[in-house]
Amino acid sequence: MGEAIVITSGKGGVGKTTTTANLGTALALQGKKVCLVDTDIGLRNLDLILGLDNRIIYDLVDVINGRCKVHQALVRDKRVDEKLFLLPAAQTTDKNAVTPEQMKSLIDELKREYDYVLIDCPAGIEQGYKNAVAGADRAIVVTTPEISAVRDADRIIGLLEREPIEPPKLIINRIRKDLMKNGDTMDITEITTHLSIDLLGIIIDSEEVISSSNKGEPIVMDPNNKASLGYRNIARRILGESVPLMTLEDEQKGMFKKLISIFSK
Amino acid sequence: MKKQLVHIKGTKEGLVLRLDDQCAYAELVEELSRKVSEGSIDGIVDVQLHLGNRYLSNEQQDELVNIVQKSGNMHVAKMQSDVIPIRESNEKLITEQYETYVGIVRSGQVLKSTGDIIVIGDVNPNGQVEAVGNIYVLGNLRGIVHAGIEGNRDAIVAASHFKPTHVLIADSIEIMSNESPAVQNSSEQLFAYLNRDGIISYERLQEVRKIRPFLNKVKGGS
Repeated sequence: MGEAIVITSGKGGVGKTTTTANLGTALALQGKKVCLVDTDIGLRNLDLILGLDNRIIYDLVDVINGRCKVHQALVRDKRVDEKLFLLPAAQTTDKNAVTPEQMKSLIDELKREYDYVLIDCPAGIEQGYKNAVAGADRAIVVTTPEISAVRDADRIIGLLEREPIEPPKLIINRIRKDLMKNGDTMDITEITTHLSIDLLGIIIDSEEVISSSNKGEPIVMDPNNKASLGYRNIARRILGESVPLMTLEDEQKGMFKKLISIFSK
Repeated sequence: MKKQLVHIKGTKEGLVLRLDDQCAYAELVEELSRKVSEGSIDGIVDVQLHLGNRYLSNEQQDELVNIVQKSGNMHVAKMQSDVIPIRESNEKLITEQYETYVGIVRSGQVLKSTGDIIVIGDVNPNGQVEAVGNIYVLGNLRGIVHAGIEGNRDAIVAASHFKPTHVLIADSIEIMSNESPAVQNSSEQLFAYLNRDGIISYERLQEVRKIRPFLNKVKGGS
């Protein structure tokens, strides 16, 4: 019996879908059987980030309405052999096409076959959110260091704490080291004390995340990227390993650069 | 000799009529009307009625007051009984009870209390706490608080870290964006209250005992 994890944020555009794609890929790379479920019905994106959009035949609403079997709708990711699957959202209808009860039985069915079912939640706190949370055992809240994202995360954590699931965990996405060091954005301790939930990991902002998403290739496939490392660390923490938090300090400078920085003060 | 049902005693504040609480009500009424008509007093005297362990309905209370005041020179200043009905007692309990909330009041959540409330945890921005009585926050208060929501102008709001966005007491509101710098920069634990002019003011927590001494509920002790 696998575990269903919903990835949510309240605010839009903080990186829920990117996080789902990358965590799913990272878990699959660790040898786990993973199914990603896109519940953003009407505004599906997860297939694009994974580069699987042109292989969709059936979708989530087809499965729920009994037009096909679950395994017929699942799209396999060829890059991670037989480990990563996507259940895409429908594009031609909206969030009210599905009820939380239907979602729950669908997720329960998937949990029997997969080690991890990652549910990509739409933005907002309406029907789509309720559908996404219905079948989950755990929740991950994604935020960025912006005050608006943190405020919405606070709201969504409040809602999640009323659900019969484990206490939600936090991912702080898109950290800009320079801004955080100068105090132009909230820092990590400020965010975690404000929200007072456990921190699952941090993702340092990287332009390559955008370019690789546009190519349909999750950044986590690139082992040398900082953001990729962040996602890999989080995947290992989900698997129960204890991995120290990434530091925000830059790598050790050479002697010459150190001298320059001393004199330029 | 027959037991006296009405004892009359003179005190500095006037007369005290102590009414027997074991006899039938009708007997008591009879004896009371006899007693108050026989005495002769000059001028008007304040009278206190002590009912002991007898509970009287409002109509019965009015009847006794009428009997006493019919004599013309007695005025009932006070009536007291040692017992109250369970309903009244429960109502009192509800408004005076302390509720304890352990957790965080997050954005969009509203925590309501029919009495006083103690929040052990934080009140985050856009989180709201409403109480008929007082609000105490052991943690960071950064949201909206409304004390005395049913109009109790004596209610206070106190917090370990007093940084709310809005403070409401009874029907007064204070938006903290244009608050006094004293609150913003204070490292002390503060509380908010309505001063005599009906304006929300802030003071160190230690001053509660001077400004709202009746909030002390501890009885006895050494």
